[in-house]
Amino acid sequence: MAHFIQSLLNGLSIGSVYAIFALGYTLVFSILGIINFAHGAIFTIGAYFTYVLTGAAFGFNGVLANRSLPFGLTLVIAMIVGSLLAGFLSVIIERLAFRPLRRRGADRLLSLVSSLGVAIVAVNLIQYLVGAEIYTYKGKITGNLPSAVNFGSENTPIPIRTVQIVIFGVSCLILVLLTFMINYTKIGKALRAVSEDATTASLLGINTDRLIMFTFFLSGFLGGMAGTLVGSSVSIAGPYFGIAFGLKGLAVIVLGGLGDIPGAVVGGLVLGLAEAFVPSDYSAYKDAVAFGLLFVVLLLRPQGILGRVQVQKV
Amino acid sequence: MSAPDTASTPTTSPIRQQSGPDNAAHVLLDLRNVTVNYGGIQALREINLTVRAGEIVTLIGANGAGKSTTLRTISRLINARSGQIFYDGRDIGSVRPDEVVRRGIAQCPEGRRVLTRFSVLDNLEMGAYVRSDRAEIRADIERQFTLFPILGERRNQQAGTLSGGEQQMLAIARAVMSRPRLLLLDEPSLGLAPLIVRNIFAVIRELHEQGVTILLVEQNAHLALQYADRGYVLEAGHVTIEGAAAELADDERVRQAYLG
Repeated sequence: MAHFIQSLLNGLSIGSVYAIFALGYTLVFSILGIINFAHGAIFTIGAYFTYVLTGAAFGFNGVLANRSLPFGLTLVIAMIVGSLLAGFLSVIIERLAFRPLRRRGADRLLSLVSSLGVAIVAVNLIQYLVGAEIYTYKGKITGNLPSAVNFGSENTPIPIRTVQIVIFGVSCLILVLLTFMINYTKIGKALRAVSEDATTASLLGINTDRLIMFTFFLSGFLGGMAGTLVGSSVSIAGPYFGIAFGLKGLAVIVLGGLGDIPGAVVGGLVLGLAEAFVPSDYSAYKDAVAFGLLFVVLLLRPQGILGRVQVQKV
Repeated sequence: MSAPDTASTPTTSPIRQQSGPDNAAHVLLDLRNVTVNYGGIQALREINLTVRAGEIVTLIGANGAGKSTTLRTISRLINARSGQIFYDGRDIGSVRPDEVVRRGIAQCPEGRRVLTRFSVLDNLEMGAYVRSDRAEIRADIERQFTLFPILGERRNQQAGTLSGGEQQMLAIARAVMSRPRLLLLDEPSLGLAPLIVRNIFAVIRELHEQGVTILLVEQNAHLALQYADRGYVLEAGHVTIEGAAAELADDERVRQAYLG
């Protein structure tokens, strides 16, 4: 029982990070109908942005070895600023890799390749600049809180790392704010209008280019925040940090139903829980569980858990 | 590209000297030698078309003659290959589609295109996207509900669940919500029962009486010429006949081809 509760809470924690990360894919997909393959790179870069903003120095391996900013922000502020920077970077990527193709009416498959290209260049650039070492954040997101909280009794302790609880809280907060924004604010409604019918949206006076920029900003912010949260929980495992996470994010949005916002949340939680319940003796096979689950869901429900069956419009 | 604001500069539309907007002779929309290539074919060839403030002008013609393409070009959804589009004396040939709406041209597109996952109320609210006068928007929504009582009854219903006629009413009401000076209507009668069509055209006339200038695309030439002041006949992307609506209705060529 204790083990069950522990797995449940850990699963919810990592699942909520999967959810906010996957929402970055979902937002872009719902507007443009494309998968932004640079999203995994944004995850990595967000984590590095946060690292450098805390004033920590890079290691010995890259061009920037032993360099650091002349100031250091506390980790929480660095996380917010780092995620915002990831958002701006995402807007730049949209300009470079997506907009030119869209202007020429290129096939959507091409933006997939151009975003993959951006991702690979970005990852290699990181390796060139800061090397392939593992970085751990200076300071803790949990501040002076004890490093674990006991959810059980004294006899049967169920310790959960405080950082997991904080991550879960932050992710839930972001999900609530995002849901509110999309459903009730003017820009959120515009976003949904463009996602349903971009041509009609522009006939209503919505500047679709600006809305696409805003969407990429949000997407980048979510991706960067996810990277930062995972980085604060474990550490930044090098430039390829986000690649595996990027693939899992894809699994999450397919699980939940492509382009479906609640679906991305459900998909993230399902994946997080599935992983958490893999016995620790087999933890090396977590990814096999994740993608095996994806495989099974696709066989049973090709439209995803919450996805609607796509009706072809005539 | 953009012409200065002042009415007396030579860059303004030369068709007619600009006077006050309430003067019936004031040219609101002026297409000059507009050519559009679309999907590899020449969809419009050297179109010349004017709409004066206060008019209802109709564009009739067979399927694929270029009627919708003309409206899409005016709304800047597609680029003209050559030629100029003046609205209220200013060249709008290179502005963004949302800017066209901001300047006062609303389009009610073919096939209605309501936002199916939005409620009736939210659709109307989105129609006022370019405005920020909240209280006035509220009042305008209520006005739409007076004009189309059925929409008021269904204000909280998802637009996708409305009937075709109701969706058409919603699409028109939504276009009006931006408070346009010029309303582009694309096939408002398409696929609707005669009774509903009459209802919708009565509202179009009412909007016109409230001061909205209308450019109406219709396949139902008989109906369109009944309501319009002037008309243009499009054939294969070319204006072949133009004139007062009554004249067109009597024109032998028009009668044979479109009025049967």
